[in-house]
Amino acid sequence: MTPLLKIDGVSKRFGGLMALADISFDVHEKEILGLIGPNGAGKTTIFNCIAGVYKPTSGDIVFTPGDTSIRINGFKPEKMTELGIARTFQNIRLFTSLTVLDNIRIARHCRTKANFLRSVLRTPFQKSEEKSIVEDSMRWLEFVGLASQALSDASSLSYGNQRRLEIARALATEPKLLLLDEPAAGMNPKETRILVDLIHAILDAGICVMLIEHDMKLVMSICERLVVLDHGTLIAEGGPRDIRENPRVIEAYLGRGAAGNA
Amino acid sequence: MTKGKLLLLFIGAGLLTYPLLPLSSDYVLHVMTLAMVYMILAMGLNIVPGFCGLLDLGYVGFYGIGAYTAGLLTIHYGLPFWVIVPLAALNGALWGVLLGAPTLRLTGDYFAIVTFGFSELVVLFLTNEIWLTRGPLGLPGIQPITLNLSWLNKAWYFEFYEKTPNFYIAALMVALVYFIMCRMEDSRLGRAWYAIREDPLAAASCGVNILNYKVIAFAISAGIGAVGGCFYARWSMFLSPDMFKFWESFLVLCMVVLGGLGNIKGALLGAVILVCLGEILRESLTAIGLPAETRFIAYGLIMVLIMRFKPSGFFPAVASSGRSNPLLIDLQKRLAAGAAAKEKSRDSAA
Repeated sequence: MTPLLKIDGVSKRFGGLMALADISFDVHEKEILGLIGPNGAGKTTIFNCIAGVYKPTSGDIVFTPGDTSIRINGFKPEKMTELGIARTFQNIRLFTSLTVLDNIRIARHCRTKANFLRSVLRTPFQKSEEKSIVEDSMRWLEFVGLASQALSDASSLSYGNQRRLEIARALATEPKLLLLDEPAAGMNPKETRILVDLIHAILDAGICVMLIEHDMKLVMSICERLVVLDHGTLIAEGGPRDIRENPRVIEAYLGRGAAGNA
Repeated sequence: MTKGKLLLLFIGAGLLTYPLLPLSSDYVLHVMTLAMVYMILAMGLNIVPGFCGLLDLGYVGFYGIGAYTAGLLTIHYGLPFWVIVPLAALNGALWGVLLGAPTLRLTGDYFAIVTFGFSELVVLFLTNEIWLTRGPLGLPGIQPITLNLSWLNKAWYFEFYEKTPNFYIAALMVALVYFIMCRMEDSRLGRAWYAIREDPLAAASCGVNILNYKVIAFAISAGIGAVGGCFYARWSMFLSPDMFKFWESFLVLCMVVLGGLGNIKGALLGAVILVCLGEILRESLTAIGLPAETRFIAYGLIMVLIMRFKPSGFFPAVASSGRSNPLLIDLQKRLAAGAAAKEKSRDSAA
């Protein structure tokens, strides 16, 4: 079976800095893939390559949302979203001066099509589309448990809720693959537990999740497979248990001596 | 209906019946009409810096294009005003696209510089292409707005030289533009613009094609500017290039900032305040022996004061896009009902 996303020999160079060097791995359907590595390993860079923010210097990224595979390197972010790749950001990027509902309504943009004339004339098509936008948005807000706050300002939400709103916004674009960039950063244990449940629910909804995370306990407990990056190279790939015992991974995190002692 | 709304309605009705009063003065009517021209301009400009967050310093260029389009079409082809309005809007929008498509990739200051250059280009064009615009001599003898209803009744052919009908036509156009603006704000289009203003990267990852939507915003804004120019041409019946100098752009931008960036009502209020202030300053400054041009210093001072005391204008743009939309009111009711039910079940559990 073809993998949902195939990263094939991807490199990314910023001037003289090799941020990613010849990375290859696959993301399969119905899995949670964890992407870990020390700070500056290139985790967010690979997310940005997949999400269309950066164009890889070389290599291929092949996305297979249905039956056909598409080589997606260098596509624009909005094109990626349309194809079915949604993402959240390491530092939350909400539309803070808008309401919670508006944040989600904007995410319905790529699945709707009312234009200027239809908006000004309020045609029956536009009206029914607006109605379905509100309903779909509310469905996603219920999914993450924020429905009751739909009309409050996004900036008034607590930190954990803002994270969940960002996930809801990504989900509202109806993705096949969801990229979560450090979703548990700064969360308290209770919020993290809610997040774990949410990620499992997302998976049950048939959406594949790729996750960057520093909270090892979280990563080890929910990911079936892990990819470890260090200095822009892929140093290990496999199940949580293998990764935990892999000497190269321990070395990357703790230094050479630590690997020897373990 | 709240007291505030009632008061607003009362003031609005009072202003609209003013020209019919026996004591109405032509001067006040003229100022009111001028204020409405600037209302149209301020609402149009509001789209670019207000909704999309792009600084546009060349808005007057589109105003000029609309005015000269209307003037030339009237003089050479004698087209009626009602045909010229859409044509001028289209011409303005066309130039908006031509300028916007290549330059909207720029951000912030660089885009502002390009638009500034554009408005200067328009003035230079109007001044130097004498074969078309008669250059600095200006374009006199533009027919006033006419209304030809002779197909209904032979006697119903009107030429609006008077102040009063022009006042009502201006009011009609303000209402129309306001209506269009409100509908755009509360739509997929308006939300896409808000997203771009708030966070372009997040907007793109929500599937908004940033460049396209910026160009659309720029084109619509330019089209509305051209409509304003079109009315101005037929109302003042004379055009000259120096009516479209840079400082007009700045004045309209002041109105938008004063009212509150991104707020439609704010743009209306800003236009009224600055037009009235301009008139008052013109009179009072000459009275104390200063040249009338010193009023620009006062505008600068006002901008400084706004930045200091009301940095987001009189009506800060609240995330109110479509709060009055029946869909949202319905949703609000449902949410309130849900919260009440929850409260009840908690009470009964306790």
